[in-house]
Amino acid sequence: MFGYWDALYFVYVFGIGLLISYVIYKWAERTSTGTRRTGDGTKIFLSGEDQDRVIPQFEHFRGYVTGRHVMWGLIRGINRMFIAFRREHTGLLSDYVSYLLVTTAIIVGALIVWG
Amino acid sequence: MIPFQFITAFLLMTMGIYALLYKRNLIKLVLALDIIDSGIHLLLISFGYRIEAGQIPTAPIYTGYETVKSAMVAPLPQALTLTSIVIGVCVLSLAMALTINAYRHYGSLDVNKLRRLRG
Amino acid sequence: MMLPYLIIIPLFGAFATPIVGLAGRKAREPWAIFITALTLGVAAELFYTVWKSGEILVYTLGAKSPLGQGVGFPIRIVWEVDLLGALFALMVTFIAFVAVLYSSEYMKHDTGLEKYYTLVLVLEVGMLGIAITGDLFNFYVFLEIMSIASYALVAFRNDTWEGIEAGIKYMFTGSLASSFILLGIVLLYGQYGTLTMAYLAKMIAENPTFTAKVALGLLAGGLLFKSGAVPVHMWLADAHPAAPSSISAMLSGLVIKIGGTYALARLAFSVFGMGVSTKTVGWIIILFACATLIVGNAMAIIQTDMKRLFAFSSVGQIGYILLGIGIGLAAYGSDVGNVALAGAIYHTVNHAIMKALLFLVAGAVIHQLGTKNLNELSGIARKMPVTSFAFLVGAAAIIGLPPLNGFASKWLIYESSALFNPFLAAIAIIGTAFCTAAYIRVLFTFFGRPSERVMNATEPGKAMLVPMLILVLAIIVMGLFPWVISEKVMIPAAKTLENAGAYVTALLGGA
Repeated sequence: MFGYWDALYFVYVFGIGLLISYVIYKWAERTSTGTRRTGDGTKIFLSGEDQDRVIPQFEHFRGYVTGRHVMWGLIRGINRMFIAFRREHTGLLSDYVSYLLVTTAIIVGALIVWG
Repeated sequence: MIPFQFITAFLLMTMGIYALLYKRNLIKLVLALDIIDSGIHLLLISFGYRIEAGQIPTAPIYTGYETVKSAMVAPLPQALTLTSIVIGVCVLSLAMALTINAYRHYGSLDVNKLRRLRG
Repeated sequence: MMLPYLIIIPLFGAFATPIVGLAGRKAREPWAIFITALTLGVAAELFYTVWKSGEILVYTLGAKSPLGQGVGFPIRIVWEVDLLGALFALMVTFIAFVAVLYSSEYMKHDTGLEKYYTLVLVLEVGMLGIAITGDLFNFYVFLEIMSIASYALVAFRNDTWEGIEAGIKYMFTGSLASSFILLGIVLLYGQYGTLTMAYLAKMIAENPTFTAKVALGLLAGGLLFKSGAVPVHMWLADAHPAAPSSISAMLSGLVIKIGGTYALARLAFSVFGMGVSTKTVGWIIILFACATLIVGNAMAIIQTDMKRLFAFSSVGQIGYILLGIGIGLAAYGSDVGNVALAGAIYHTVNHAIMKALLFLVAGAVIHQLGTKNLNELSGIARKMPVTSFAFLVGAAAIIGLPPLNGFASKWLIYESSALFNPFLAAIAIIGTAFCTAAYIRVLFTFFGRPSERVMNATEPGKAMLVPMLILVLAIIVMGLFPWVISEKVMIPAAKTLENAGAYVTALLGGA
């Protein structure tokens, strides 16, 4: 056909990438004079959140870096679209029926005009 | 000129769709589904009806065909309608069962009260 | 001729289940597994026969020849199986077998299981019938068998409000869509006086009338509803999460494809392909596909209910399949259309496997933890490593990460849509970006720090792990040989679907 793909190439590239990252990791550990073993270097930062930081009165949220905390930038950025989509999904049976009628009417009309 | 059966059939379907859109009682919605089905059955049956040489057609029963000496309606739409009626009964009974269960859970037959799933 | 047994075995098995259930509570599950395994064997044999010979199998019910005595047109019900139908029959039986195997443990705590297995087998009969039928009214009957079984299965757990509410919405709107489909079939019968799909294709090619166009519009509207295209996707997002998880796997993996996109492609190509302007039909489907891609994948991001997220993702993936079918219709006869159609068929099979796996994972989580709220599921990878691995594979495949199977089919669709119209390829890639965002949220939840709720969780039993691992194996094996599968199966299947003339001559002879 037009293009060419081979899944095995991606396996090779993935393996080479793993190897390179392992080498970089080892190199960083050797040159870091031990800061990656103790202290702040061992922490993981997800979405810029320090998982050991305790916020007063929000102790029960401590350290939960879960699905709620990722992709908040995307969700905040196009929040208006999501609000519009959620508003359309009303849960009323008559709305579902009217969407079905409108869809069918559009298809029938388009087919009559250009069919 | 459009035969009057076709007009009646499409009128029935429109009535059913109107009820599905604007009625809120679940039992009326079940009836609306049945009315739409009836309209389609009427349309299907009327396709099989034909008048040959001025004779009124009879039911398609083959045993007495020589003695009756009249045209028969097409048998296929009747078979299809019977099948479709059976399917319609199945849908109706399931809809009634769901309606009973909905009344148990929501304490109401108003379909607009059934909107906890959204968003 | 093994073709009739494809319907006979599951139909017999379905109505024998209550009788077998009298033999004891332990007898039902082995019976259902046995019947589905036997059907899988028949479907595999049928697929091998059709694939080997490359011909279209025609089976007439109750006679040797479909033609009537002394007349030159078919008067009997026929089944007509080409490579596409055989491939989808194999897919249906495989996923149904896996789902039944899974439910032997997943549904152990429920009552009324003989009804459950009866309904599952009836659902399988309906889908297999749609895949092999060559008669329009027969198609409607099988569609209704499938739909009624799925309405009942969505509301199977009638002690929860969720199942009942979703069942009512699915049932009322679904019956209206079925009525539209029946109305379309009735109009075609009234105009042309026949119901055999191949003969109807010939008549429509000779004399495409106004009625045929209206009928196609009604059929397409009803079938787009059944496949869950936007803006008629709302029942899907309500109904699929409410069903038991093994049923969600079948509904999301099979029902929306066999009863929706497959039937739409079959009608658009084989029946109307020679009479109605394929360009118009193709562009209508493409427009709905674009809306489906954006809305379905975007809505998946903001869900907190895991199964609802997967259901919205199903809507988005249906968008890819519809896009492939639409481009296949709009660029009918060219290389681009052929590749797009092959991509759509390939993605149908892939998505059936991936989405079945994801819903089975969701079912395992619900079974072990009793919740599907993503905010409470943080960190289950520590406690359920095999389940999390299965989810990881399924999510990577559905995003389209090489070397898993989702990549090959998505690549075919991107490539052909970019050649057809770059704007469509851009929309498809935006859809994938949203899809990736949604699955990364679930992934972070699974691999995050464990919350109190998951501390006592354990892996599910063998009967739930084995089906998941079968599907993982299928994904990896299919991902390693994408070019072989595409060249040997998917491109020929797309070619048989495009070649509507062969579909007609297989039934009517050299006419």
